[in-house]
Amino acid sequence: MDVELRGVTKRFGPVVANDKVNLVIRGGEVLGLLGENGAGKSTMMNILSGLYSPDEGEILIDGKPVQFEGPGDGIAAGIGMVHQHFMLVPVFTVAENVVLGVEPTGKFDYLDLKRARAQVRAINDQYGLEVPPDELIEDLPVGIQQRVEILKVLFRKADVLILDEPTAVLTPQEVQDFFGIVRALRDAGKAIVFITHKLHEILEVADRINVLRQGRIVGEGDPKQLNEEQLAEMMVGRPVTFAVSKSPAQPGEDRLTLTGVSMISDRGETALDNVTMTVRSGEVVGIAGVQGNGQTELVEVITGLTRPGRGKVKFDGQDITRASVRARHMAGMAHIPEDRHKSGMVDNFTIAENMVLNSYYDSEFSGPLSIDWPKVHETAARYCVEFDVRTPSVFLRGGSLSGGNQQKMVVARELERQTRLVIASQPTRGVDVGAIEYIHERLIRARDEGDGVLIVSSELDEIMGLSDRILVMFEGRIVAEFDNTGGKADRNAIGLAMAGATTGAMA
Amino acid sequence: MKFLSKIGLAAALVAGSMTAANAFTACQVTDVGGIDDAGFNQTAWKGVEDAKAAMGIEGRFLESQAETDYAANLNSLNDGSCDIIVTVGFLMGDATKAAAEANPNQKYSIVDFAYDPTIPNVLGQVFATDQAAFLAGYLAAGMSKSGVVGTFGGLNIPPVTAFMDGFVYGVNHYNSQHGTSVSVLGWDPAAKEGLFTNNFESLDDGRAFAQNLYDEGADIVMPVAGPVGLGSAALASELGADALKIIGVDADQVATDPDHEAIYLTSVLKRMDSTVGAAIAAAADGTFAGGLTVGTLENDGVGLAPFHAFEDAVPAELKAELDAVRAGIIDGSIKVGM
Amino acid sequence: MSLSNQDLQKALLRPLGRGRQEFEDLVVVPLIAVVIALLFGMVVMLATGVDIGTIGRAFVALAKGAFGSLNAVSETLTAAIPVVLAGLGLGLGFRAGLFNIGAEGQILMGGLAAVIFGFSFDHLPFAILMPLTLIVAMLVGAAYAAIAGALRALTGAHEVISTIMLNLISYRILDYALRQPFVQKEGRSDPISKSVPDAAQLPKLLDWIDPNLRLHAGLFLMLAMVLFVWWLLFRSKIGFAFRASGENPDAAKYAGMPSGLIIVLAMATAGGLAGLAGGAQVLGVLERASPGFSAGLGFDAIAVALLGRSHPVGILFAGILFGGLEAGGRQMQVDAGVSIDLIGIIQALIVVFIAAPLLVRAIFPWGFRKDGKGAAE
Repeated sequence: MDVELRGVTKRFGPVVANDKVNLVIRGGEVLGLLGENGAGKSTMMNILSGLYSPDEGEILIDGKPVQFEGPGDGIAAGIGMVHQHFMLVPVFTVAENVVLGVEPTGKFDYLDLKRARAQVRAINDQYGLEVPPDELIEDLPVGIQQRVEILKVLFRKADVLILDEPTAVLTPQEVQDFFGIVRALRDAGKAIVFITHKLHEILEVADRINVLRQGRIVGEGDPKQLNEEQLAEMMVGRPVTFAVSKSPAQPGEDRLTLTGVSMISDRGETALDNVTMTVRSGEVVGIAGVQGNGQTELVEVITGLTRPGRGKVKFDGQDITRASVRARHMAGMAHIPEDRHKSGMVDNFTIAENMVLNSYYDSEFSGPLSIDWPKVHETAARYCVEFDVRTPSVFLRGGSLSGGNQQKMVVARELERQTRLVIASQPTRGVDVGAIEYIHERLIRARDEGDGVLIVSSELDEIMGLSDRILVMFEGRIVAEFDNTGGKADRNAIGLAMAGATTGAMA
Repeated sequence: MKFLSKIGLAAALVAGSMTAANAFTACQVTDVGGIDDAGFNQTAWKGVEDAKAAMGIEGRFLESQAETDYAANLNSLNDGSCDIIVTVGFLMGDATKAAAEANPNQKYSIVDFAYDPTIPNVLGQVFATDQAAFLAGYLAAGMSKSGVVGTFGGLNIPPVTAFMDGFVYGVNHYNSQHGTSVSVLGWDPAAKEGLFTNNFESLDDGRAFAQNLYDEGADIVMPVAGPVGLGSAALASELGADALKIIGVDADQVATDPDHEAIYLTSVLKRMDSTVGAAIAAAADGTFAGGLTVGTLENDGVGLAPFHAFEDAVPAELKAELDAVRAGIIDGSIKVGM
Repeated sequence: MSLSNQDLQKALLRPLGRGRQEFEDLVVVPLIAVVIALLFGMVVMLATGVDIGTIGRAFVALAKGAFGSLNAVSETLTAAIPVVLAGLGLGLGFRAGLFNIGAEGQILMGGLAAVIFGFSFDHLPFAILMPLTLIVAMLVGAAYAAIAGALRALTGAHEVISTIMLNLISYRILDYALRQPFVQKEGRSDPISKSVPDAAQLPKLLDWIDPNLRLHAGLFLMLAMVLFVWWLLFRSKIGFAFRASGENPDAAKYAGMPSGLIIVLAMATAGGLAGLAGGAQVLGVLERASPGFSAGLGFDAIAVALLGRSHPVGILFAGILFGGLEAGGRQMQVDAGVSIDLIGIIQALIVVFIAAPLLVRAIFPWGFRKDGKGAAE
C-alpha cells in the first residue's frame, strides 16, 4: 500500500506546523523521517492517523484521495501508529492488550480469549516478534512492550506503520533486535515510517530519508550517499560539529570518591555491589552500561537521594554519605537528573521558578523569609540568554517549552552556579542536535574550569565523545575502566564489557 | 432569570402588602430535627397552625439545622414583621434570652425553658411531663411480660430527663403497689445518668438503642429523642408488638406516625400545641405577659394518649388504677419522685 | 554582544498579559457555575411543586437576605469568616498536594481549646487574653493537623483517610471534654461548656448601630490571613517549597526540599488556619462550645477552597458567596417558605460545576474562546 501527502498545510493559530508538505510512503520500504523537536513530525503523523485534518492539501491512498474525520479513520484505512509512550494496560496480558477495543466475541458478547491468543500467535510467528501472549505487560521488559504495540497495529491489519522515536527507550542490544523486526516487516511488504532525531539509526535502517525543518521538507536522499554531518546540517540549518572539541584533561585532586558502596534496591535486588571509584577535578568520567545495571542507583547515592547500605561517599575529602541533598548542593554539587519531566522540573512553574528550584533559599535570591522575585526573574533571564533557552518570556510555564529547551533550562540551572562537581545523567536524552552540541560544550567548559564531571548515558557515542575516562557498569559493579584520552578507548572492548564479558581489561 | 425575578418581585410585593393588612404574624424557630419530626417540633408548630385556623393569623417558621443556627435564625426574624416569636427547645434558651434582651419590644415565647429571674418579654412554657410519664411507667410496668422495660433520651437535658424520671418513678410505684420487681433500663434518676443518643436526628440510632434494650430483655421502650424514636418504632414493627412495644412522647404518635400504630402502647402527651396557641392568643389580644406557664395533668398541659390498638389489651383494672393514680397526682396524695 | 544580551534579557522580563484561559478558569467558570446552580435550584423547586411566583420571591429573598441590608451584609460576612479562614488552610494544603479533609476536626479542637483557655484565664485583660486565645486556637488546630501530616510523612498513611478518622475522634474528644466538670457549664447536665469571658471575645463591630448586628472583629483576622496566605504561597521560601512539592513531589525531592518536613509544615499551617476558624467562631459568634459546634463548616470550607481555586483571593470571594447563600437561605425560608435544604442543594451543585469546568464549557460554549488543539508538536 502506498500513501501520499500532497501539499499538506496545518496551522495552529499563527504557527504553521506543516507547510505544503509532500511525502510519499511506499510499501516494502523504510522511510526515515528526521527532524528536530518542533519541526512538525508529530503533526504530520497525527494528520496521517486522522487525529488532525489538514487545512490545505490532500491525502492519497494508492492514488485515491481520502478524507479522515477522526482518530479511528487512519487505522481503518490501514495506517497504524506506534507511539513513543506506550498505551498498554500493565495488568493485562499481551493478548488482552492486543485485542483491547476490537475483541473477538462470541455469543452474548462472550470474550473469546482463546481465539485472541491464536491470532496473536499467528502474527507473532509471521514476523518473528517472539512475544509471549500470556505474560502480563508489567512483567515484560520495555523492548518487548514495544513489540506489543507493534502487534496491536498489525492485529488491526495495518499496512503502514508509523514508529515515533521507537528507540528512545531501548538499550543498544534491543535497538539491534528492533531493527531486525523493522526489516522483517518491510520485507513482508509493509510500509514503515521511522521517525527519529538519531542520525546513525536512520542511516542504518532507512531506505530513503526525508528531513523536516520548521514544518517543511528540506531534504530528501538516499542513506547510502549521505553522512551524519550532511543530515545534521539539513536538520538544523547550519553546520554542526559532532566531535566535541576539547583539550586533554588536566586532572587535579580527588573531587568524589566512592569506597565499597553497596546497596539493595526496593525490590530486594543488589543494585550496587562494592563500587569504588573516583572523579578528579578537571576530568570527565563517563559511566557506560546498559540501562538498569545500577547507574540510576549510583547517581542517587552520589546526589543523596538514597543512602547506601554499605560504603562511603566523599566529596572534597568530606564524608557526605549521610548528608542531605541540599547540603551536597550547597557544597557545589550539580545534578542534571535523568528524567527532567519526572524529577528535573515543575511543569506548572514558570521558567523563572524552575530556574531557582534548588537555589531559591540561597541568600542571593532570598531574605530570611521571602524570595526576592525581581532578582530571580533577572537571573532567570540571564540564564535563558546564556543557555539559549528559546522562550518569549521567563514568566511562561516551564512545561510549555519544547523538550530541548526544557533540558537547556535544567542544565542552565545546574551549571550557572559556582560548581565543583557535576553529575549529569542522560544529559541529552530527547534533545535535538543543536542543543546537544551546546550542552556538551558546557559540560567540557565546566571541566576546564576545574570541576569534576561524571556523565551517565545510555548513548555510547556520547560517553566516548565526552569522557576522559570510561567506567563500565554491569549488574551493579564497575567491571572495567578505560582510558579515553584523545578518544583512544576501544569501542568493541567497551561493548563487550557492557554485555558482561569477564575479559574486560582493568586498564 | 431577570424576567422571572421581576415576576417574583411583584408577587413578593403583593404578598408583602397582604401580610401587612393581616397584621398579626406568629413566627417559630424550630430546634434541630425539623418541622416534620412527628413529635416535638411538629407539635409546637401545630399550635401555630391551630391559631392560624382559629384566628386567621399568619404563621412562618425557620428550621435550625445545627445549634449554631439558633442565633442567626432569631436574628433573621428581627425585621419587625413578627408579632411573636416562638422558640422551640431548651437548647435555644441562651439564644432566646440574648435576642429578647437586645429587642425588648419584641414578644417571645420559649418552649421548655424557664428563666430565673423571668424576662419581661419572654413567656416560658414548661411541662410537668414527669407526671404524665409517671402514668406511662405505671402502665408499662403493668403491661410488661418480661418484667423489664427501657427508655433512652436524646440529650441529658431537663426537658428530656423529666420524661425518664417520671417513667422510672411510675414503674417503682407500680412495684410498690403490686409487690412486683419490674426493672427499668436506660435511666438512673438518682445518678442522673443513662442512655443518650446525643442527637435528635438519627433514626439509625433509634433502631440501635431500642435493639440494645430489647436484647437486654425489655419489651416496652420509651424513646425520648424526637424523630429518633421513629427508628425504634420501625424496629418494633419488624419484631411485632408482642415482642416490643413503644411508648411515644410529645404528641400522640399514632396520629403523627400512623404507619406504626400497631406498636404504640400509648404516648406521653406534652401539649405544646395548646400552650403555644395560648401564648399566641395572648399576644394577639394584648394580654401577653412575660413569665412562666406550666403544663400539668391538672390543666391538661400533659397527659396520656389513648391506647388505640391496645384498648382491649389493657386490663380494665389497670385502667382503673391509672385513673386513680392520675387523681392522686393531681390532689398531691401521690408524689412524683423517689 | 553584551549589550544585545542585555536587550534580550530585558525582553524576557516583559510581563505576560494574564492569559485569557486563566481568566476564564478563575472568573468565568465559577460565575457560570453559580448561575447554573441557581437555575437548577429553580428546577428543583418546580419539581417539588413550588409555584413560579414563590420561586421568584425566593430568589428575591435570597438576594435580599445576602446583600440587601446592613444586617444582611453583616450576616453574610459573619458566616463567611470561618469558612474563609478554614478554606485558606485547605487551599494551601491543596497547593502542597495534600487533600486535607480534616478541617472539621481542626476547627473543633481549635475552638474547644479557645473556649477552655478563655474561661481559664478570665482574669487577664482583653488586650492580652483575646489575642492569646486566638493563638491557642491556632496552635491546637495546627498540632491536631500535624498528626495527620506526621503519619503521612513517617508511615505514608494517606491524609484523606487519617484526617477523616481524626474528625471522628475530635467529635468524641469534644463530647468527652464537655462533660468534664471544669469545662461543663455550671448547673447543666447536658454537654455544653462554660461561656467565654467578654475579655476573650472578638468585639462586635457594628453593635453601636444595632445590637443585633453580629459582625465581629474576626473580619479583620480573615482579611489579614488572606494577605498572609497569599504572601506565604507566592512570596515566601517555604511557600515555594509547598507549591513545588504539590506540583511535582519528585522534582521537589531532587531539588533538596525535605519532603517529610514540608508535609508536616503544610498540614500544620492548614490546621492552624482551621483552628483560627474555630477560634473566631467561638470567640465571635457562639461564645461557648457545644457538641458539633463546627456544624459542617470544615466541609463547606473544602467547597470554598475548590471554588476559590486554592487562591487566597478566590477563597475570600467564594467564602463571601457561601456566607451570602447561608444568610440569604434563611431569608428565603422566612419570606417564601422554601426549605433551607434547597440552599444545600445549590451549594452542592456549585461545587459539582466548579469541579467539572469542562461540563460548564460544554453547557455554555459561548463566552469561551475557541480552543485550538494545542500547539504544534
